[in-house]
Amino acid sequence: MTETTPAIRVEGVTQAYGAEGDPRRVVALQNASLSIAPGELVALIGPSGCGKSTLLHLMGGLAAPTTGQVWIDGEPVRGPSPQKVAFVFQESALFPWRTVLENLKLGMDFQGVPKAQRDRRARESLHAVGLSDFTDHYPNQLSGGMKQRAQLARALVLKTDILLMDEPFAALDEQTRMVLGEDLSVLLARTGKTIVFVTHSLVEAVFLADRVAVFTARPGQIKNIISVDEAHPRSRSFMTSDKLGRLRNELYELLHDEIRKTMGLSKSEAAASGKPLAAVQEGEK
Amino acid sequence: MKRKLHPATARLGIIAIALFVWEVAARRFGDPLFMSPPSRVLVAIFQLAHEKEILAAVALTCWELLVAFALSVIMGLVLGLIVGLNRFTRGSMYPVILLLYATPQAMILPLFVLTFGIGTASKIAFGVSHGIFPVMLTVAAGVQNIPPILLTSARSMGANRRQILASVIFPHMIPSFFTGLRLGMTAVLFGVLLAELYVSQSGIGHFTTEFTQTFQPQNLFALVAVLAAIAVTLNELCRWAESRFSRWHA
Amino acid sequence: MNSSRLAQRLVQLGFLGAVVLAWYLTTMQGHINPLLLPPLGSVYREFVSLLETGQFWPDLRTTLYELAIAFLLAAGAGTLIGYTVSRSGYAIKVFDPLFAGLYAIPTILLFPLYVLFFGIGPASKIAMGATIAFFPVVLHTTSGLSYVKEAYVTAARSMGASPRQMFWNVMLPAAFPVLLTGLRMGLILAFLSILGTETIASFSGLGHQIVELGENMDTAKMFAYIVFVICIAFLLNAAVSFAEARGQRDLA
Repeated sequence: MTETTPAIRVEGVTQAYGAEGDPRRVVALQNASLSIAPGELVALIGPSGCGKSTLLHLMGGLAAPTTGQVWIDGEPVRGPSPQKVAFVFQESALFPWRTVLENLKLGMDFQGVPKAQRDRRARESLHAVGLSDFTDHYPNQLSGGMKQRAQLARALVLKTDILLMDEPFAALDEQTRMVLGEDLSVLLARTGKTIVFVTHSLVEAVFLADRVAVFTARPGQIKNIISVDEAHPRSRSFMTSDKLGRLRNELYELLHDEIRKTMGLSKSEAAASGKPLAAVQEGEK
Repeated sequence: MKRKLHPATARLGIIAIALFVWEVAARRFGDPLFMSPPSRVLVAIFQLAHEKEILAAVALTCWELLVAFALSVIMGLVLGLIVGLNRFTRGSMYPVILLLYATPQAMILPLFVLTFGIGTASKIAFGVSHGIFPVMLTVAAGVQNIPPILLTSARSMGANRRQILASVIFPHMIPSFFTGLRLGMTAVLFGVLLAELYVSQSGIGHFTTEFTQTFQPQNLFALVAVLAAIAVTLNELCRWAESRFSRWHA
Repeated sequence: MNSSRLAQRLVQLGFLGAVVLAWYLTTMQGHINPLLLPPLGSVYREFVSLLETGQFWPDLRTTLYELAIAFLLAAGAGTLIGYTVSRSGYAIKVFDPLFAGLYAIPTILLFPLYVLFFGIGPASKIAMGATIAFFPVVLHTTSGLSYVKEAYVTAARSMGASPRQMFWNVMLPAAFPVLLTGLRMGLILAFLSILGTETIASFSGLGHQIVELGENMDTAKMFAYIVFVICIAFLLNAAVSFAEARGQRDLA
């Protein structure tokens, strides 16, 4: 059996801030190794500050690891790879001074798409996410869910093989999340992209992913990887199935102690530094 | 990577270099009628400090500043509360106040002098006329923009109107008040100093005119430097007060 | 217009009406020296005559000329220096507090120095206006360009934006509102300081004209000029608001 090149490969990656021996040194990510096959959808889940967003940024070449290596399609990652990787962020990174359509076109301008193609591709992408009626709206005229759809459209229009999503639905209410999650699953079954997304929601992870990587408390290590053996697109019946319930419970057991541990760390850190607890927790994101 | 200097040290370095360049340029190319090197200015400061008249003038100006400031603050606070608390007065008076604030007061300075004379009264009046607006406007704003949820929760716990005023509205307004204080100080400084420079019998304006007309740059620079130092100190006090009392603010 | 809005408007008009009435009554009775507070009628006559004869032009030209030069100097230097400083985090840490500290000094104190150096011609007014306007521009430019929301920069980077694309398509549009605020503040401050300094030491300009009329006890005409300057200030503010709104629209 020939081995296909993994779409993303991470080997022994550690991300630390501060020099060795410095008591203030923070190790966000420790010795993470992961191999993601093309067309796979992998969820990263774990307590705050465990390095999941860091790993995502490393995969996308937005930062360099302190030690270890990252490969995309077998090529070592040395910086942002706009041809291969597209991001969707939690915070709205749509440029507020441009309309939705112009935002997509600007993304293609950055990536280097010829001008002639931009309009058509942008409109197709917006149609795919259901925003055809809002092409000339400004981001501040859209609801939270629509903004995230627009961000997704911008990521899709770049026609990359890999999509990295950092808590894309975190700022949305549960009902919107549910709808967008289902839509995402349908969309991705169609396009066959490799997707890595970070989430805090146990159900969302199980519902959408092929595999779920569970992280420990800081310094974040990959504690366990759970397989969800279910074909895409995921259906409504899967959402209410026993299988999903079981897997969700498994995740809960794995995560519970790590979350408690992180809370304890936050509290003692806040007490020691005199910073308010909220600021410490914000800083861990 | 080369270790860089601490920013504060770098700043001091820049100031030192600037002073050095000034010193050299003034000695080499400067006409002593118009320009004076910092060394001579420093000497002048010491000399002037011994002259009774100069000290009296500086003290008088400080007095004018403080009185104008105090009046601005008190009147600004009272008026700001009146305008801000009542929805009706807010809607009707706010635009009027903004309109007055927007008019360039600098040119009615002669009117102030005609009305209040060339003594300290006109300087104080002009200062108050400038300083009252920032205080009034920030207090009015601070009283208005209280998150309604705070008022609702206080009422749900049984607070009456007076309690809400004292325990919710007033404390919420404090940081804005101190911001207004700082802005008011800047405005008062502008007003009083402008009035002094316009016409002055015994304040510093008198001496700035004298030093300018008799071409004594070192004395002029010295006087300006001393006043600048006083002004910065006053400003810093206000800024400290502002941050001290705004700790809980977002 | 609902009733409370109407009531507020009435209070405002009432305020204006009360001022006018008080002015009229006090001057009618002769309680106040007409040299101090001229009757409303004579102020109105002088104002109309002012507009008809166009005597204001030379002074208006001087003042506007001083304002234009001062503002261009301040805006040019401020944006250029602000941009340069914003390029480096270290430079920001060094220079921002320095500029903020200098801004705390009442710039008006420098005016006697400028008069000594430049005399009482337009140059000293221009120097004063430029100095005072420089600071809000440079401070706002620095902060506007350096505090662009990180999410925008990261997103653009991830899409492969070059530094040039990043500056023109992300940093500048994001910083634009702040930049505009700084420029606006600079313009207003320059205008106020120029009027003020013309009052103190000048041989031309609107501020000077007002002082001269006051000294000659030609108070009716002085009031007319004051009203005129208020109108100019109003027009200037309106022009700036218009330009600001237009600029926002065109950029977006």
